[in-house]
Amino acid sequence: MDVLDLARTQFAVTGGLHFLFVVLTLGMAPLVALMHTRWAMTGRPLHEAMTRFWGQIYVINYALGIVTGLVMEFQFGLAWSGLSHYAGDVFGAPLAMETLLAFFLESTFLGLWIFGWGRLPRWLHLACIWLVTLTAYASAFFIMLANSFLQNPAGSVARDGRLELVDFGALLTNKALVFSFPHVVAAGLFTGGMVLVGASAYMLRRRTEQVEFFTRSMRLGVVTAAIGITFTMGFGYAQFAGVQDGKWDNVGAAIGLALMMEVGQLLGLVVLLVMLPLIRFLPRWRWAYPLLVAMTPLPFVLSIAGWVAREVGRQPWMIWGRLTVADAMTPGLTAGMVTASLIGFAGVLGLLAVVDYVLIARTIRRGPREPDLGAGVPGETRAPALSL
Amino acid sequence: MEVIWFAFFAVLLVGYFALEGFDLGVGLLLPLLGRTREGRDRMVAAMAPYVLANEVWLVAVAGTLFGVYPALEGEVLFALYPVVVAMLLSWVLRDAGLWFRRRADGRGWRGFWDAMIAFGSLGLSFGWGMALYAAATGFAAGPMHPLGLMLGMVVTLLFAWHGWTFLAWRTPGEFGAARPGRALVVSGAVAALPAAGVLAGAMPYLVEHSASAATLNVLSLMVLPFAPIMLGAQLWVWRTFRPGKDAFRLPSFF
Repeated sequence: MDVLDLARTQFAVTGGLHFLFVVLTLGMAPLVALMHTRWAMTGRPLHEAMTRFWGQIYVINYALGIVTGLVMEFQFGLAWSGLSHYAGDVFGAPLAMETLLAFFLESTFLGLWIFGWGRLPRWLHLACIWLVTLTAYASAFFIMLANSFLQNPAGSVARDGRLELVDFGALLTNKALVFSFPHVVAAGLFTGGMVLVGASAYMLRRRTEQVEFFTRSMRLGVVTAAIGITFTMGFGYAQFAGVQDGKWDNVGAAIGLALMMEVGQLLGLVVLLVMLPLIRFLPRWRWAYPLLVAMTPLPFVLSIAGWVAREVGRQPWMIWGRLTVADAMTPGLTAGMVTASLIGFAGVLGLLAVVDYVLIARTIRRGPREPDLGAGVPGETRAPALSL
Repeated sequence: MEVIWFAFFAVLLVGYFALEGFDLGVGLLLPLLGRTREGRDRMVAAMAPYVLANEVWLVAVAGTLFGVYPALEGEVLFALYPVVVAMLLSWVLRDAGLWFRRRADGRGWRGFWDAMIAFGSLGLSFGWGMALYAAATGFAAGPMHPLGLMLGMVVTLLFAWHGWTFLAWRTPGEFGAARPGRALVVSGAVAALPAAGVLAGAMPYLVEHSASAATLNVLSLMVLPFAPIMLGAQLWVWRTFRPGKDAFRLPSFF
């Protein structure tokens, strides 16, 4: 592989790993916020247990979203400085907004939500998880705004060999953005819903005592997945009107697209025509549990396939029709430099991703009895905390 | 407008040093002051509620660098390529240590991630000194310059002292000393001095290389109205987790 292929591989690996975790974050944040709302309104222990159990899975997943995101953010400067040189005046603004308006607040409120358990008043604590959800969606919006500019460089003109921002409104109404953002958000909801379904099926199969807990979780998951897949497909088809000519001439992109659409539609049929109508009985059908567990990884595969279609289809352009990926690469970057950093990032992040999934599986297997999240809340009877 | 955005950028970087400085300091002190597992648990629990709100200042620095100084973003990061990669890996391992250390039982598990927290904090602190020296020379000197290594040592020691002051403020007497909030403000200001110095020297160069007026206008319109909310959220963290008798009452998630 030459240096360009290595740099592309590095971005693809970190970007792919990042989205595997982000897609679940986007789907689970509103679900956990919903559970927390019901707990705040009713005070029922069942709703508290659901908030803490699914909340813990959400935050364990979140950890890898953060660390992979950090590596992505800095890679623009490390390996793709040609992009900021040519289009930084346009492309930099949405990335700056993402960090300042969205992630800065998201991280601050998430810290308050996790560590404010038992300290913050009930409604303020609830407000934190809704603010986390809101800012997570704002984050996704600005990232999709930046990505859509690469697909279709609206709102800018080339002057003196650089792109200048002339119309920010055109970036916001970019035809590559208006349907892809809701498509991604809905895919997140679909993923979050299917994880609830799969984890609940796994626990019911293990004959957990928490039958009501996982029956409710599974039904919430089915409804969420049904809403998610409907809008994912709807906004997915709507995107075709705005796709650049020649995007699917690229074999890799065409395969990603075909995989996503065929498997996605099949899953959509199963969710909408089988799981949703039979939602009352589904949690009691033992024979269905292994099938539901087996379906859990599919939304993640489809999400990656979708990104492959969108990003590989952009090749050889970094910015469609304006700047090639080869020209966007940092001048002076050597194969040795990228190889070393690629091994470091892929090795460390890959291992951490595996550990993270093992920890999520372990949290699910332990069930909702004693999650670490919110442990030691006053009023609960338990031994004093042994470790602090 | 260029000056306002320079001030914004400077506040973010100085704020990062003053705030995340003590988290890294506590991480550095973990093997020294936390001889027992319980001791390390208490040290991590003391900083845990602040970490997410503190480290995000550097994410904001990087975002602002891209948005306000697009012409410099690539040059700065590329000139420091090996240091930036090492610092990122350190940051990743430190964060992973915090998130993972209590997610499984077993002495070995927690000990391993505690070592990652200390190791990551060291890599990040030392890397900052090297990066700042290289930036101060306009990247004429490589990051491995002896003076850069010396500044790496200085920043590491400053952060360790800042972390020690933080522990003495948040958990008075627990690790040998008790310090009032004023002392923490002073140690924060001192920990931020190296960054503030480099920023002051680089100000004319940075202002000159700002993004175009159109870009800065859009950024100002979109971002500046939210600055009070960003500040308010940070103040809320400090108000919620101020020291008190309940500092250790609840088990920490980290």
